[in-house]
Amino acid sequence: MSLIQINKVTKIYDGTAVPVKALNNVDLKIEAGEFTAIVGPSGSGKTTLLNIVGGLDIPTSGNVIIDNVDISTYKPDELVNFRLHHIGFVFQAYNLIPVFTAKENVEFIMLLQGLVKAEREKRATELLNAVGLGDRVNNKPSELSGGQQQRIAVARALASKPSFVLADEPTANLDSATADSLLDLMENLNKEFNMTFVFSTHDQRVISRAHRIITLHDGAVERDELIKQNQ
Amino acid sequence: MLLSLAWRNIWRNKRRSLIIIAAIAVGLLCGLFASAVMFGMGESLINSTIDRDLGHIQIHTKAFEDDKLLTDTIPSVQKVLSDIKSQPNLIGASARLIIEGMISSATSSGGVRITGIIPEDEKKVTSIHNQIVAGSYFENEDANQIVLGLKLAENLGIRERSKVVLSFQGLDGTIIYGAFRVTGIFRTESTMFDRSTVFIQENDILSLLSTEPIYHEIAVRLNSVQNVDTVYANLRKKFDDLSIKSWKELAPELKLMDEMIGLQLNIFLGVILFALLFGITNTMLMSVMERIREFGVLMAVGMKRRKVFSMIILETIILSLVGGVVGMILASITIAYFGFAGINLSAFAAGLSEWGLGTILYPVLPISFYLSITVMILLTAVFSAIYPAIKAIKLKPATAIRTF
Ligand SMILES: Nc1ncnc2c1ncn2[C@@H]1O[C@H](COP(=O)(O)OP(=O)(O)OP(=O)(O)O)[C@@H](O)[C@H]1O
Ligand SMILES: [Mg+2]
Repeated sequence: MSLIQINKVTKIYDGTAVPVKALNNVDLKIEAGEFTAIVGPSGSGKTTLLNIVGGLDIPTSGNVIIDNVDISTYKPDELVNFRLHHIGFVFQAYNLIPVFTAKENVEFIMLLQGLVKAEREKRATELLNAVGLGDRVNNKPSELSGGQQQRIAVARALASKPSFVLADEPTANLDSATADSLLDLMENLNKEFNMTFVFSTHDQRVISRAHRIITLHDGAVERDELIKQNQ
Repeated sequence: MLLSLAWRNIWRNKRRSLIIIAAIAVGLLCGLFASAVMFGMGESLINSTIDRDLGHIQIHTKAFEDDKLLTDTIPSVQKVLSDIKSQPNLIGASARLIIEGMISSATSSGGVRITGIIPEDEKKVTSIHNQIVAGSYFENEDANQIVLGLKLAENLGIRERSKVVLSFQGLDGTIIYGAFRVTGIFRTESTMFDRSTVFIQENDILSLLSTEPIYHEIAVRLNSVQNVDTVYANLRKKFDDLSIKSWKELAPELKLMDEMIGLQLNIFLGVILFALLFGITNTMLMSVMERIREFGVLMAVGMKRRKVFSMIILETIILSLVGGVVGMILASITIAYFGFAGINLSAFAAGLSEWGLGTILYPVLPISFYLSITVMILLTAVFSAIYPAIKAIKLKPATAIRTF
């Protein structure tokens, strides 16, 4: 069984004057350990797809099966719990709670999971070291650069020990050198812990780092290329 | 951690939070101070009435209650008095002989309530002896002394040492006249009392009536209002053929006032808090609106709506309590200061004394009031938070993150 199975997912936004078909019959399988980029022009449905896979949005038709569970069967509260324990999220920007320090931001997700203080602190420190911010644990987001903030977001995403990490344009607000180093980090984590990463982007340099590239066009999968086999 | 998050969130927009905290604090300061002034007035009205002539408990015959006849005297008064004197927490008991009569000076006359007393007993029960403005309060045992109020003295055009004549109906229905010399003039907070009450020694009146000692009224004074209920119950049990009344029954308007003040002030503060409610809601609403994206992220990564809801309620409670505590501290300091120094109301004294109020007002506020206000603040906070909190949890994380 694949880690993520996307079965004939169609998403129509009908809140607008003209209904928008954001996803059109998308069929995909994503395996554990992948380092996959969803690419495509603006409006092609990347965010919509990631939201549906992440349980933040529900498909109009079709379903998503994660770890052998059809997540559309979850009630809203169960879905929150599912996200908390199974999915790590990194968003484009402003991921962090501004009043919390780096460490507290990472800890918070474990607090929601109900971990005790000692355990939370230990894991938060480890993760911040892993993302190269061991010396900035007590800084607030506003005292850190955009790249550092995204690293903390990655650390937070991993803190809950998720099955996979979804990152919607994680490098969009970064310059290319910083974007590169964030990609290095993610790739390392992928290699070292076999952590699955699915990220969207339209940055050509980021695309080139992916092991698999899924191209969307007008809400449909246009191309699906495997660049590099997982070890 | 949630508490610390809530606390820090409050201080994100310092100015906005400080403004609403200041609004709450000032609102409460004014509200509590005004309440304390009202309470102080009530207390002083009650205390001065008790001090002036009521005492805490009074005993009459049931017939006297209705008809106030000279013949409605308390039977076996010495036995009653000695029973009263065995009561706990007693300061004193004064037996009084009461006759409605006339007082005449050379130029004028008027109706008065003549009260025959044993000065030593009466001093323990009331505080007229402390309110003498001319002469003295039965300093010696000379016969035919009369002590009366300043207002009455003015009305009659008399001074200390002046002679007056009292007239009243005797036991057999004939009119009795007695000449008295004014040896003391008192001035209480109540001009009504000062205009209508005169004191003479009981021996003088007994000899005018040519009778054995008779009494119509026993006024009882305890060490504290708190102890009235027990003694009252004891006496009621003992003398079921007499009419025993506590100050609340003797002056039902005071009791009513006492209760009304408490109720009114709670409503008054409720209104202030209700007005603040809109300010708090507005502050929290702005704060929520600014954080839509953040709530989206929090809910996306796994914070339950219930938790987001409680966090906003918690923030509001903290914000309101900070304002509330500051307000209560400022208020208690202000009240303590004026409670000690007093507020001089002499500018309005003429009007106030008609109601039996002194010219210096001492604001007080019972502790229970601070407790009820804290509960009200908490309720206000929760009510204020509900709308912003609902707004926050209605957000769809996907939309919140996409659009903000
Ligand atoms: N809440 C919504 N209501 C209506 N239409 C929407 C909504 N969200 C997205 N859309 C539409 O759905 C389509 C897909 O949007 P989506 O955000 O998934 O694209 P994207 O590939 O992530 O674009 P970008 O690269 O600009 O982020 C677009 O046409 C968009 O306008
Ligand atoms: Mg997008």
